[in-house]
Amino acid sequence: MLKGSREGVAIVIDEAVSIETAIAELRAKLQESGEFFRGAAFRLDAGRRRLTEEEREALSQAVREFGIELHVVDDTPRGGGPVAFPRRERLPQVTAGRAARGRGEEMASEERTLYLRRTLRSGQRVDFDGNVVIMGDVNAGAQITCTGDIIVLGTLRGLAHAGAAGNEEAIVMAFRLEPTQLRIAHYISRAPDEAEPRPVGPEIARVKNDMILIEAYDPR
Amino acid sequence: MAGKVLVVTSGKGGVGKTTTTANLGTGLALLGRRVCLVDADIGLRNLDVVMGLENRIVYDLVDVIEGQCKLRNALIKDKRVENLFLLPAAQTREKDAVTPAQMKELCDTLKQEFDYVLVDSPAGIEHGFRNAIAGADDALIVTTPEVSAVRDADRIIGMLEAHEIRSPKLIVNRIRPDMVKRGDMMDIDDVIEILAIQLIGVVPDDQEVIVATNKGEPVIFDRRTRSGQAYYNIVRRLEGEDVPFMQIGPDGFVERLRRLLSRDVRRRA
Repeated sequence: MLKGSREGVAIVIDEAVSIETAIAELRAKLQESGEFFRGAAFRLDAGRRRLTEEEREALSQAVREFGIELHVVDDTPRGGGPVAFPRRERLPQVTAGRAARGRGEEMASEERTLYLRRTLRSGQRVDFDGNVVIMGDVNAGAQITCTGDIIVLGTLRGLAHAGAAGNEEAIVMAFRLEPTQLRIAHYISRAPDEAEPRPVGPEIARVKNDMILIEAYDPR
Repeated sequence: MAGKVLVVTSGKGGVGKTTTTANLGTGLALLGRRVCLVDADIGLRNLDVVMGLENRIVYDLVDVIEGQCKLRNALIKDKRVENLFLLPAAQTREKDAVTPAQMKELCDTLKQEFDYVLVDSPAGIEHGFRNAIAGADDALIVTTPEVSAVRDADRIIGMLEAHEIRSPKLIVNRIRPDMVKRGDMMDIDDVIEILAIQLIGVVPDDQEVIVATNKGEPVIFDRRTRSGQAYYNIVRRLEGEDVPFMQIGPDGFVERLRRLLSRDVRRRA
């Protein structure tokens, strides 16, 4: 029914059961898990089944009650030759899962990038295998964890963890960098307890000499 | 024509949701609108007390949903204003006596009868909150200029987005110009910068509110009070009027606010 993977959570619908039964089972399952998935986005794997517009809507409606967005509805029939798009491994996830564990893998900076044109608010989190670009703010109480770089075209006030799989080359950049906490690979730094005047303008955080260093962003 | 269901919510408790609901509801009714106030805080009802209608309660929201009475029998007519009704919460039941689907159905029924249905949400983000927003077409977010209240409001705005309520309006309550001026209180400026939603009202901290609440008589009846005037301005903005924001601070506050608002619009675009 619900299938978790590194890519996030997928709703898998058995081809043999009716859509009503599937929705009922899904509700029961989500009821059990309480608040755990709130704010998450699920993918839908309908197998060979072609869903009608109504059936899709019913499904998104059902998960929305639990604060979950049905992110991408992938009901392209499989088995009839190669399916190019949407490829599962290309789909971005916003999950409510645990923070990514350091796996010690080196990640290249040309890995996949998740681009989100929205503001992340308190309680919302993004976990992604790759880079994350946010066009909006990341408010205090929101969290981004990814294996690559984090770029915020706005103000970063929440928690950002770049290079979460162990990449010490990862960077965090924002138009205004005012994070509660910054993490790069296994390095952690926090905002100073005393408010100090911050320079206005884009800044970049990276690991230098075994600590996280914040500098004004200079494109040269 | 169907009316509009507005949920009044905040996340944090004690920021003035119930007082806001009572005053806006009363104000809209004073302008001749048909208004129903719904207290969705099952188990901790307050709205009836603030409205001074506690002694008139026979049936409540849970009775209606369980089919113990007809909706019209549970609606309490306000003692001062025409066209204003209250659907009280049950005091002896808990939030899970009602489901979001049932609340939605109730709101859908009410908005056939009324121009405005104002739902007073409980604090928190749990079952009671989900009930309160289930039938809402739009939301009014109440916050005070405190970091914790703003943080909770931010959380709530995110959760409303997931429910397709995408443009909630902001009410900043209990602002104290003297403290803002000394830099001891968050500025409206700061609040809007973080929340980035449309501001629909600023209510100054006013002892008259406490006096009025204890008397069971919304402060909006006395428009000589600064808070009463502020609530009345919000009511007019809800009705689509372009009402300038009150001069709260002595130092060109209104101009700063205008500037902020126009920036906010650009940010939301």
